[in-house]
This record gives sequence, structure tokens and C-alpha cells, in this order.
Amino acid sequence: MPPKSTEIFFKSESRYRMLVENSCDIIFSLDRDGYYVYISPAWKVLLGHDPSEVAGHDFREFIHPEDILRSESFIAAAIQTNSAQEVTYRIHHADGSWRWHTSRGTPHVDESGALTVIGMAHDVTERLRIEEMMTQTEKMIMISGMAAGMAHEINNPLGAILQHAQNIERRVSADIPANWKAAAEVGVSLDLVRAYLQQRGIFDFIGHIRNAGMKASGIISNMLHFSRRNDSTEAEHVDLSALIDRSLELAGTDYDMKKKYDFRHIELEREYAAGLPRIPMIVAEIEQVLLNIIKNAAQAMAGFESPRSPRITLRTRLSGRFIVIEIEDNGPGMDEFTRLRIFEPFFTTKEVGIGTGLGLSVAYAIVTKGHHGSIEVKSRVGEGSTFVVTLPLQGRA
Amino acid sequence: MTNADITVLLVDDDEMIRECIVAYLEDEGFTVHGAVSGEEALGMMAELEPSVCISDMRLPGMNGESFICKAHELCPATRYMLHTGMLYSLSDELRALGMRADDVLLKPIHDLSRLVNKIRQSAIVGGRL
Repeated sequence: MPPKSTEIFFKSESRYRMLVENSCDIIFSLDRDGYYVYISPAWKVLLGHDPSEVAGHDFREFIHPEDILRSESFIAAAIQTNSAQEVTYRIHHADGSWRWHTSRGTPHVDESGALTVIGMAHDVTERLRIEEMMTQTEKMIMISGMAAGMAHEINNPLGAILQHAQNIERRVSADIPANWKAAAEVGVSLDLVRAYLQQRGIFDFIGHIRNAGMKASGIISNMLHFSRRNDSTEAEHVDLSALIDRSLELAGTDYDMKKKYDFRHIELEREYAAGLPRIPMIVAEIEQVLLNIIKNAAQAMAGFESPRSPRITLRTRLSGRFIVIEIEDNGPGMDEFTRLRIFEPFFTTKEVGIGTGLGLSVAYAIVTKGHHGSIEVKSRVGEGSTFVVTLPLQGRA
Repeated sequence: MTNADITVLLVDDDEMIRECIVAYLEDEGFTVHGAVSGEEALGMMAELEPSVCISDMRLPGMNGESFICKAHELCPATRYMLHTGMLYSLSDELRALGMRADDVLLKPIHDLSRLVNKIRQSAIVGGRL
């Protein structure tokens, strides 16, 4: 466009207005104290508030408390350096959620001499979510390599502990003739040796060694499941609703759960989509994923004082080329720190001894590596958490 | 048939593991031999003609899979088992030799008395005795 027409174009107030009013990003103007002087119509589209609820209001009313300081610095820096500045922050949506926005703003003095910062805010929530998932994936690949190595190294010594404990039991057993012979050779009575060991609780100690070893072995086995690259077990086409119901049944009969929390007190709501296509999956594995998520929800709700009665809602739906399973609870929810780490092996918020911190990392591995799906968690502190498992229709292919 | 009639060859480079499994199986009366590598075990196969051969997967030199393939040529009637610390599905080669999923022993073996039953069954099914 030749310079002449450019000049004409930008001189035209109506053209400016049209650009501003039709922008997909929010265009705003803030005074130096942080009050909105102007917001473009995109605000309503992106954040749901009516312009009248925003114009004239302090920007701090809309920004996440943890991001206010950063946003104040953004305004101050733009004014002080008289240059464009950028900031990323969470902003409140009318539906109650937080959205991530990145704003670029420049100071501007208008005809009346009033100083404002004029900026453009772009919604980056989805981009950040994908970045977060990628970081998560990389982290998991690294951790799973470590887990496999560790599991392998620990298995042999653990085998020796378990098997030698068993050998000790055998070598003092009355059932083995060689034991009687060896005892006689050194001049002791096997009966007396056994009586002594019994009285001093040695047999119990050996039993404890074996139990402890088996517990450790269970953890190692979970780690191996977490770290396995792939599995050749045949996938089956199954009815998802039936599979979810079976997982709920399993959760109801889980002995560990009964001890700590009575599953019958949880209200279960099923919102299954009708006529979902059957997709190929390894039934036992997906059952384990759901069981781990349900157990996690039940345990979280067990320690949570709430006027609401505990409830787990299970939903299924078709979304494009994917089937989505949602498991929502109305428990205590989790903070952002926990949410970002929840799938890491050995990350647990439960008391020592309650959980190993492996259940959800195993779920993560099964869904992402085993079934080429994704698993995410959304949560609000005090309101509950929702796990979202997405599985591709074409299965693991 | 007594356990003494059943010869077991255990291939594992980890002395600790060899020792505890050998001790248990000997207490049960089996005739047990140990080898630290596939190469050493191959040298013993022809003479021992074991009823059962249990090999670790990770061995110095040839791994457990290759060892079993070679050992099978020498002693096709032996029942082979693979001892492994990793989740493992049998390779096509081993399946072709007649090995089944329950011939894979996942480490650590919690209860050696089950292994004893397995060895006895294998020896009987193998028809060697």
C-alpha cells in the first residue's frame, strides 16, 4: 500500500474502531493505577464478563492472586522504560475457571495528557496445556528409564532376601532328614533348636523378613509396569460401560480400601454415553487405571471434612476420534503443585504407609504408552478433581 | 520317581541368586548344578542332560534367550525356564521351541516351593522319567 493511502487508512477513526472491535484478542487500556479505561468486545467472548463489569474496575479483581505482583511490574516497567512489555498471567473467566493470557502493552499519552498502558491480551491456555503435557511426557520417559534400571538392580538382592529367608526356614524344618542328621553331627537336638527358635520369636522374624520382601517386590513390580515400553498382550474390543462398572465393583471389594474407607458411603453417578463404539484395549490394564483413579478419589474424600456427601461421577463420551472417560469427585481437590506432579512415581500426598505413590503413575503409563491415549487432571481446591482419560478409537495401532 | 532323579541346571552369573536357589533345590533332594554363563552351561549340557534348565535372562556373553536356543539343539528333551527381572514376553524363537508363558519366572521368586512343584511337573510332562 503506498504511503499516502496508509496515512488515510490510519487517520480514519472508524477503521481503527473496526480493527479493535473485531480483534480476536482483547485490546485494553489501563490507567497507571491499574483501572480498565477501555476493553474491546473480545473480552466478552474470551472471558464471559459483560464490559460494564470490567470497565472502570481494578485489573486486580480479575487476575489470579499469585500473578498480581507480576502484572503490576508489567505496568510499571512499561511506563518507566516507555517501551513494550510482555506478561503472562491467569485471569478469571465468568464461568469460574482461570484462563492463561499473555499481554503485550505499551505506554501511551493521549491528547488530554492522560497516561495509560494500551495492550493486547491473547489466550494461551491451550498452548500452555500442550507444553505442560510435553514436559510431562519427557519427564515420564526419563523417570521410567530410571525406574526400569532400578527395578532390575533391586530384583536380585530382593530375590536373595526372600529366598534365603525361605532357606533358613527349610534348614530348621523338622521335615527334612538332612537337618536331623546335621543336628546330630554337631551334638544338638533339632527339636530343642526348633523350640528355642520358636520361644525367641525367630520364626516370626523370618516371616516378617519374607513379608517385607514381598511388599518391596510388589512395589518393584509396579515400577516395572510403569516403565514398560510396550506390551504384546492382545487388545480386546470391549463394552466400556461394563468395564467401568466392573472397576467400580473391584473398588468396592478392595480389601485395602475397606480398611481405610468404606466405599459404600460414596454416591456413584454414572453418565455413560449410549452406543459408544467398542475400542480395542487391554481390559485388565484399563480396569487397573480406573481402579487406581477411583481409589485415589475415595482416599482423598475419606480425609476431607465437607458438608457435601462424597460422590464420584463417571462419564463417557465420544469426542472426534477419541473416547473420553471422566472420573470426577467432589473431594478436597488439589493445588497446582500437586496437580503437576500427580503422575510422577513416588509422588504422594498420603501419609507414609498409605500409598506408594505408584498407582497414578502406573495409570499414566498404561494410558499413554500402552494405549496411546492421554490422561489429565483438572482440579479446584475445596471443590474436587476430575481425571480425564482419552483413548483413541483406533486403539493402540 | 524321586527328586534325586531329577537333574536341574541353574544358569546365573549372580552368585547370591545361584546359591539360594541351589540350596533350596538341594534341600528338596534334586540333583542341582550351577553355571555362571551360557558358555559354561553349554559345556555341561551334553553330559548332564538335565530334566530342567533354568537360565537367567541377563548373562555375560550370550543372553538367556540365545543360550536356550543353543542348548535346545544339544538337549531338546530338557524343559527350559527363563528367569528374568523384566516384564517379558517369550520371543517367537523360544515359543517355537515349545516354551510357554509359565516357563518365564519373574524375579524375585517369592516362594521357591512353587518352583519345586513346577520342576517336578516339568520333569514328568517332559517324559524323561
